Amino acid sequence: MLFPTLAFAVFFLFVYLVSWSLDRENGRRKLFLLLASWFFYAQWDWRFVGLLIVSAVLNWGVAALIVRSDRAGRRKLWVGLGVAANLLILGFFKYYGFFVEQAVDLLAQFGWERDLPLLQVVLPVGISFFTFQGISYVVDVYRGKTAPAESLLDVMLLMSFFPHLVAGPIVRASDLLPQFARVPRLTREMATHGLLLIVWGLFKKAVIASELATRLVDPVSFDPAAYGAIDIAAAVYAYAVQIYCDFSAYSDMAIGVAALLGYSFPRNFDQPYRAASMQAFWRRWHISLSSWLRDYLYVPLGGGRKGLWSSCMNVMITMLLGGLWHGAAWTFVAWGALHGGAQVVERLGRALVKDRKVVPTWLGVLITFHVVCLGWILFRAETFDLAMQMLVGLGRFEGFSLLTPFVLALIVGGLAMHGLPPRAVEGLAERLKTAPSPTLGILIGLAILLVEAMRPEGVAPFIYFQF
Amino acid sequence: MSEPTDPIDPFPTRAQPPVSPFPPLEEPTAADPPSDWIDAADAHDLPTRENALVALGRFAFPPAPPLDEEGEAARARRWTSQTVLVACVFLMIFNAGSVQNWARQQPPGWTQSTIDRLATVWVEQLALLGADQPVEGLRQLWREAQTLRFDGGRDKAAPDA
Repeated sequence: MLFPTLAFAVFFLFVYLVSWSLDRENGRRKLFLLLASWFFYAQWDWRFVGLLIVSAVLNWGVAALIVRSDRAGRRKLWVGLGVAANLLILGFFKYYGFFVEQAVDLLAQFGWERDLPLLQVVLPVGISFFTFQGISYVVDVYRGKTAPAESLLDVMLLMSFFPHLVAGPIVRASDLLPQFARVPRLTREMATHGLLLIVWGLFKKAVIASELATRLVDPVSFDPAAYGAIDIAAAVYAYAVQIYCDFSAYSDMAIGVAALLGYSFPRNFDQPYRAASMQAFWRRWHISLSSWLRDYLYVPLGGGRKGLWSSCMNVMITMLLGGLWHGAAWTFVAWGALHGGAQVVERLGRALVKDRKVVPTWLGVLITFHVVCLGWILFRAETFDLAMQMLVGLGRFEGFSLLTPFVLALIVGGLAMHGLPPRAVEGLAERLKTAPSPTLGILIGLAILLVEAMRPEGVAPFIYFQF
Repeated sequence: MSEPTDPIDPFPTRAQPPVSPFPPLEEPTAADPPSDWIDAADAHDLPTRENALVALGRFAFPPAPPLDEEGEAARARRWTSQTVLVACVFLMIFNAGSVQNWARQQPPGWTQSTIDRLATVWVEQLALLGADQPVEGLRQLWREAQTLRFDGGRDKAAPDA
């Protein structure tokens, strides 16, 4: 059940009405939201609802053991086991096939060919997101950053809540558990902001991302050798716009849907292509993941506390594992290595010039954007061979066939979004919150009608569903 | 005859004014009270006489006391629900084509068939009124833009058209 579909709209309206009709009984409201979330998840594969339940029980139990342990060594043991169990679940479903294939290849190189048990493991949607949420909950309870959940119901809802379940944002326990303590208060500002985010996300996904994917990115990525430099360059820029409009649209709609139910999610994107450095890019792109990697991987590795070289090494490890988190393929690892390497170069450069500004901001933005685009080639390509074909094709100057004024306008429009005021939607919500409800309702209806008139038939799944 | 030792002071400066033999004409007055002048005040801010009818209305129907937190939240929920309802009704009226498309993608059955027929009738009735023209016009423009090429020519058809 995808967000920009009529089926989801009907589902959400039902959840909205029932959940607010239970506003005097928080426990029942949470139980209803949990059942609705499981129903939502079961639309992909009902068998994995069991996995969600097992994962929630595991994290709730480990957190309870940590709280009850009075010895530091025992607490450390529990948190280690909790993290390991979460990683085991993730590793089995997401990386089992990948590592077995690598092991077979490695053994074959030593002349020891064996048939290892290769299972066709179905990847549960959103597993990377809810296991990371589970890890953050256990570690935060261990660190004392968040109180353990009042009940198993809270942990289950934390991990299964449908707006963020399949593609984030990774909402931490410290953000959401306090909101579960009582029936949330809906304000006009929240509601207006939520409605605008839903419409804005719908436009980005259904119009910009879908059109760019079908008209340019998919054909070029499928067979780069058939196209010249202009089409390939346009496809690279188009993919940069597509993935931003796709993923940020999902986050916007998730935040908007949660807001209409009274819950506040953290911001996940902040005009990432305005970043003037790779470090700044990661403060603006998929913020919930980058802050997760910082707090639960980079900092425990030592962060920047042990000197320049150590911090460079830690950044590199973090980005490599961040790349692997996106998918079980070497192209994702290479993508992570590119981002890590670029950040290492930046750090060394900053240490060399002692934080003096030597690159103008506009040039920094331009360089950063193109390094990111280079990374998107690796990210989009299914194999290294296809990625290399894209890179080689950038030097093959010939006529173009797929780039049209319409596609160019979409690319420019998608990039021009980064020129809007940084909090444009919030600003508009602030203005519209005083409007009478019929006026705002008609405006929202009109906006959705416009999107409906422009969108192509059907909706492709969000890119980040595969992670 | 002896000469004076000191020259005569032609303009004596140490002379005191003679003390008047009369009482002072006025008693010294007390200092002015502090001013009540307000620089920022505007004449329009001054209280005016309330309209008698308004005063009567206020007396008859006194305004409700300010809402507490729960009351504010309930009001916001009501406002949000009304907004969502209006948007849904608007889309049901003017975007019934989406309902029709959705119904046609569902497995056949009584419910699917009923929704499909209702949506079809509604879409046709709207078309008779011409109420679908703005959206259809926009869709047509959008499709034409999709087929435009840099050399000024046009593709034969858009991929999804």
